[in-house]
Amino acid sequence: MSHDEKTPETPGPAALHGLLAEYDTPAGILAASQKIRDAGYSRWDTFTPFPVHGIDKAMGIKMTVLPWIVLGAGLSGLATAIALQWYTNTFDYKWLISGKPFFSIPANVPIMFELTVLFAGITALVAMLVLNNLPLPSHPLDFVRRFARSTDDRFFLLIEAADPKFDEESTKALLEGTHPAAVETVKEDNVTSNKLPKVLIYGVVILTVIATVPFALAAKARHATSKQTRIHAVLDMDAQPKYKAQRRNPVYADGRSTRLPDPDTVAVGDLREDSHFYRGKMNGGWARTFPPQVRLEDATMKRGQERFGIYCQPCHGVGGEGNGMVAKRAEELQQGTWVPPTNLTQDYLRQMAVGELFNTITNGIRNMPAYGPQITTEDRWAIIMYLRALQRGHASKTAGLPPATGGTN
Amino acid sequence: MATAKKTSKGKGGGSDRKDEAPSSAEPKKSPKAKVDDAALQTLVPGVSDNIRLGGEGSALFVKAAGIAVVSLGIAAAMGASQGDDFRRFSHSYLVAFAVGLAISAGFLYWVTLQHLVNSHWSVVLRRIAEVFAANAPVLAVLSLPIVLPVLGGQALIYDWADHAKVEADHLLHHKAPYLNPTFFAIRMIFYFGFWTLLSRFFLKGSLRLDETGGAEIIPSMRRVAGPAMIVWALTLTFCAVDLLMSVDAHWFSTIFGVYFFASCVLCVHAMLTLTVLWLQGKGRLVKSVTVEHFHDVGKMLFAFTVFWAYVGFSQFMLIWYANVPEETAWFKERFAHGWADVSWALLFGHFVFPFFGMLSRHIKRNRKTLAFFAVWMLAMVYLDMYWLVMPNVLENPEFALMDVFNVLGIVSALIAAAAQRAKSINLLPTKDPRLARSLAFENI
Repeated sequence: MSHDEKTPETPGPAALHGLLAEYDTPAGILAASQKIRDAGYSRWDTFTPFPVHGIDKAMGIKMTVLPWIVLGAGLSGLATAIALQWYTNTFDYKWLISGKPFFSIPANVPIMFELTVLFAGITALVAMLVLNNLPLPSHPLDFVRRFARSTDDRFFLLIEAADPKFDEESTKALLEGTHPAAVETVKEDNVTSNKLPKVLIYGVVILTVIATVPFALAAKARHATSKQTRIHAVLDMDAQPKYKAQRRNPVYADGRSTRLPDPDTVAVGDLREDSHFYRGKMNGGWARTFPPQVRLEDATMKRGQERFGIYCQPCHGVGGEGNGMVAKRAEELQQGTWVPPTNLTQDYLRQMAVGELFNTITNGIRNMPAYGPQITTEDRWAIIMYLRALQRGHASKTAGLPPATGGTN
Repeated sequence: MATAKKTSKGKGGGSDRKDEAPSSAEPKKSPKAKVDDAALQTLVPGVSDNIRLGGEGSALFVKAAGIAVVSLGIAAAMGASQGDDFRRFSHSYLVAFAVGLAISAGFLYWVTLQHLVNSHWSVVLRRIAEVFAANAPVLAVLSLPIVLPVLGGQALIYDWADHAKVEADHLLHHKAPYLNPTFFAIRMIFYFGFWTLLSRFFLKGSLRLDETGGAEIIPSMRRVAGPAMIVWALTLTFCAVDLLMSVDAHWFSTIFGVYFFASCVLCVHAMLTLTVLWLQGKGRLVKSVTVEHFHDVGKMLFAFTVFWAYVGFSQFMLIWYANVPEETAWFKERFAHGWADVSWALLFGHFVFPFFGMLSRHIKRNRKTLAFFAVWMLAMVYLDMYWLVMPNVLENPEFALMDVFNVLGIVSALIAAAAQRAKSINLLPTKDPRLARSLAFENI
């Protein structure tokens, strides 16, 4: 070792970086670390091929601040998730989904969990790199031949010349007192740059710029219109090889996609010969009696009451007076186009043939839509049966009833 | 409750704290004066420890067995005085039994897992787990007050056990091919039979290793551990479904077995912590089990509070989102009346508080704070089981001494059986080739 090279800040080769000691065993480096720690050095480190138990304590390494950083990042992730969902769901773009509240915690928990983990995880990685001064493209130890064995079977201890207590003579004496296999001086690295390669930096910058392009395009698209058709990402789903109803179909002469049944044919089970039961007609006029298929009994009446409650009551009201919830609401809104539902207890309806009532339910009348497709034939007759009961109830006079049950019609 | 269970080992825990407090960071210290040096046995060069329970085991057996018999007797008497044909008592007993099941089945899982992954760090703790896991036959006997009424066709807990109720209920009728008394009893025999065989296999193999030192036993146990783990998972899932989910046989949840599994793992690590602290209070395993082992057990305890919350919420959110009446009914019951308070208590007591409480490594490396959270989590597992079962019989949660005596009785019975088993064997596998590494284990 030549002393004239020791002058600090000398341009040119080989300023002193520090002193490197090599040990054969984990026990050796543990003992050495304790000595260096107790001697009060601050800028030094150890290099071992595997984690050595107790090295933290031997080196006097303090608890890292990393857990607190990760905790902070995790909580910010949580806060971000809550704020993001609150802003989008209750403020920026309200969207009512099956009657659930706009901001409801259960639905938000998965995002809260994910963002907490994401923020904490990424921060743990980045903060760990920063706290460890990584990435480190070059280090003077890279040029020490024996140091290669630090990933194999040797244990190393490096004291940097930058340490305030460093003195080449005394430090070397101290290290030699720790029974090392060897002590070697390490020169500063004047050959390679300690900076990240330019290519890498430019590469990252260019990739970052490219990565913003999709976002920029999306942002532009939000505020612009386009005459071009949209991009079909999944072509065979957007353009399926089939003919839809109401579309042109070149296969047939009439060009229709929707086909009518062939003339003079009836689908199996669709032959409805019984005019009384299916259409309410008898001998060319409206039937005045219930068809024989309808059983005039309690069960049918119950069924009719239930179906009436489902299909008729919303407009015609519980008692059939034409004052259902829909009618009330429509009157409240006072819109001119509304035609009030018929009061089913009127006299002319009491006199009306059951066949005609059946036809009205089946095919609708004026504003009332056809209920044939929704209510089965039997149920339509059951509803009429119940309607007859309602009409009777309305027409009855309390005076005509026996005193014991007066007023309970 | 778990706090009550603590009293059965409270003295040990208390003296242990006194013992360990000055050196909570450094486990190396001489055992208490009353332990004579002749009891020390050299485990590896440089480490000797007292690893025989001996008289302390007999004393604990007498104490715990006494508490178990008296507690269960008092609880049964209280149940009889209710005048509801033991209906309230049966539910209370089932809650306590579920905690006992979580402890026993959990320890068996833990032993199987250590063999499966060839774990080194846990070798010093494995014997304790093997001893507790071998409680499966004890648990089978304790299950009789639940299984026998079912076989007798009495719907004390389970509506599906009563033939008349099944005939009157379409859904129960539909499920009857599975949920019927005979098949239920057969399944119980299978579960407890399998657990008994498996736990005896591991304990016997481990003891044989103590005698012969033939390390070839270890790979043979590892080979069994893989398939055994699969069968164990299935038996636990079905057992949880049979005992706990079928309390409300109309309701179902496919994640229920996993939900109960979380309680099993929590119980294992809480019980390991408390057992080792008691043993160290008696001067056993003082040098073998270090703060590093406690730290790892604490990590698992912490991790599984999160796991429990994850699974519990997964179960809740899917049901909440789909809003299908046959699924929501179960939660509606638990969000109404006083049960809403219990639900909130679980959310905060079973997850939020222990999560932030155990987040720091200092908490997990301190025997006192770790012991606190071990007791806390056992109490929360009890509350969880209470919340699963009790709405079936109570419109509002209500405190009853019967509940305390039941869980005290069942957990004491398990401790008594474990003490009886442990008193004449080594408290750790002395000839396990991985022991040295386990003793020197350190968290990086």
